[in-house]
Amino acid sequence: MKDFIIVGSGSSGGILARSLQEGGADVTLIEAGKFFRKDTFPRTEAAYSSQLFWGGGLEFDDKAKSAYLRAKCVGGTTNVNQCLMNRFDDMAMDDWRDRSGIDWLTVDALNPHYDKVEDLMELHTFEKKDFNRNAELFTGGCDKLGYGWKYLRRGQKDCKIEEGNDCIGCLGGCQRDSKQSTLVIGIQVAEKLGLEVLSNFEADTVVHHEDHVVLLGEHEGQKKELSARRMILAGGSFGTTKILLNSGLKKALPALGKGFCQHPQYMAFGVFDEPVDSHKGAFQTVASGDPNMRKAGFKLENVYAPPIAVGMLFNSYGREHQRLMKKYRYMACIEAAVRDQPEGGELDVDKKGNLIVRKTLTEQDLVRADKGIEAIHNVFAAVGAKEVVDSPFYFGLHLMGGCSFGTDPNKSVINPDFQVHGHKNIYVADSSVFPSAPGINPSLTIMALSQKMGEELLKN
Amino acid sequence: MSKLISNAAVRGIVRLGNIIVPGDGDMPSYEEYGGYEHVDDLLEHAPKSDIGDLGLLLSVLSFMPKFVLVWLVNMMGASHGKGNGLWILLRQLDMGIRGIVLSTYYTEKGGASFSGTAPLDGIDYSITRMED
Repeated sequence: MKDFIIVGSGSSGGILARSLQEGGADVTLIEAGKFFRKDTFPRTEAAYSSQLFWGGGLEFDDKAKSAYLRAKCVGGTTNVNQCLMNRFDDMAMDDWRDRSGIDWLTVDALNPHYDKVEDLMELHTFEKKDFNRNAELFTGGCDKLGYGWKYLRRGQKDCKIEEGNDCIGCLGGCQRDSKQSTLVIGIQVAEKLGLEVLSNFEADTVVHHEDHVVLLGEHEGQKKELSARRMILAGGSFGTTKILLNSGLKKALPALGKGFCQHPQYMAFGVFDEPVDSHKGAFQTVASGDPNMRKAGFKLENVYAPPIAVGMLFNSYGREHQRLMKKYRYMACIEAAVRDQPEGGELDVDKKGNLIVRKTLTEQDLVRADKGIEAIHNVFAAVGAKEVVDSPFYFGLHLMGGCSFGTDPNKSVINPDFQVHGHKNIYVADSSVFPSAPGINPSLTIMALSQKMGEELLKN
Repeated sequence: MSKLISNAAVRGIVRLGNIIVPGDGDMPSYEEYGGYEHVDDLLEHAPKSDIGDLGLLLSVLSFMPKFVLVWLVNMMGASHGKGNGLWILLRQLDMGIRGIVLSTYYTEKGGASFSGTAPLDGIDYSITRMED
């Protein structure tokens, strides 16, 4: 019997696979999606959008108001994000500690684990020389308005941006292993140490026993049952919560599924007379770094998207759609990401076991969104945009909560030792354990929590 | 043409696609570009239940008069920011139909007989990929 089965291979699973395998454990890593590597990632937007994501591209909440982008491939969302690596601050951790009752949720306690995860990867903090025109417009507008901004830090190595590489292409997986995804820094390292990876394996339920756990699912379309002494669920907010709900744990754990957050993201485009070429060069180098925005519950990110995604974000048809798309090279783009309240989100399953996402933005969320969008308009106006096009959609890339950790089994799902309450052999350290939205990119903290859990598992 | 949806459903995509992207002097219409010939490249990765439902709906729409399709597309566009009930269905349709249309239009793979300025060239999009 295996020591560990890890279900999910993203920010949490990829780190755990490496740390447990390096610690001498016998590990199997399960992933619902396919196993792409740098030379097999799909190269076009249409191909990677349909092949690397759940739902064939997008998933939606039950009211179809919010769209979700959730990667389904070995390495998970760390393959398709911008690998932004931020530590949480006191504001985020204080809220987690208040909600969970867990004393060790402090920045100081997590710092050694941040350090260890950061040691696994190459990190690059951008500088002004890395800016494309989109970043120049963003920072120029912020400077005129007195908004604070900061350079972003990204997990990357040898991106060849200075030689002309356009890193918007790595939204479909990095073709040169420059992006420090968990595929690169975790799974491929662990494979060399004997890690077993089962891709195309969709986990369904887990059955807990006194000395082992059984996982039921489908591998390559065939029903499959696997056992391990301990099971680590690392499928993220949607994946982990769905498995526990389908395993019938809701009755014993009333908080299961509650507290879903997503950092609702609103994009707006500023149209300029001269080409901006937001899709060229270093794609995302700066973001807001303004304490007033932090307190107000939103941040601004300087982003863009490839053509299909941009076309989808416009709510226009016919000639108007074509007019806007011809301005593709003339657009700058800013996104407002809201620190949303967990009270408005809940995950559930239907009778067939399909995930249902219920997400209602609270009054506070909407106020924060309005302030964020207003700030975007101010920035574009400050740098002379001829037109501002707001996308009517909001979406979620940071999916959090559903299995919140805490000390009280009536109000939480995971205990302070990362075990499902009352199920000592099932562990979770992915984004589903977040008690609330931090308002900060979550990847590094998921990795740090997973590193901490892995260390404790190896001690035992 | 498609192994996953009927010819009528493909026709439904083309008719809706021509409303969403009618073409002009610089850009081909959806039908002229012919990216829909590769629609299976997308659909083979979508949930099977979604394909069945969408295929049926597109087949029905393929027989509707154009003014009905224009009305539907306008309603789909107006659905965002609206309430629940029928609006939910319209929002789902909007994302599903536009997802297929735009994914088979702003792509390198046009129809076998297309010769002209491809949509990605029409918007002057190109990126450099430096591989190992």
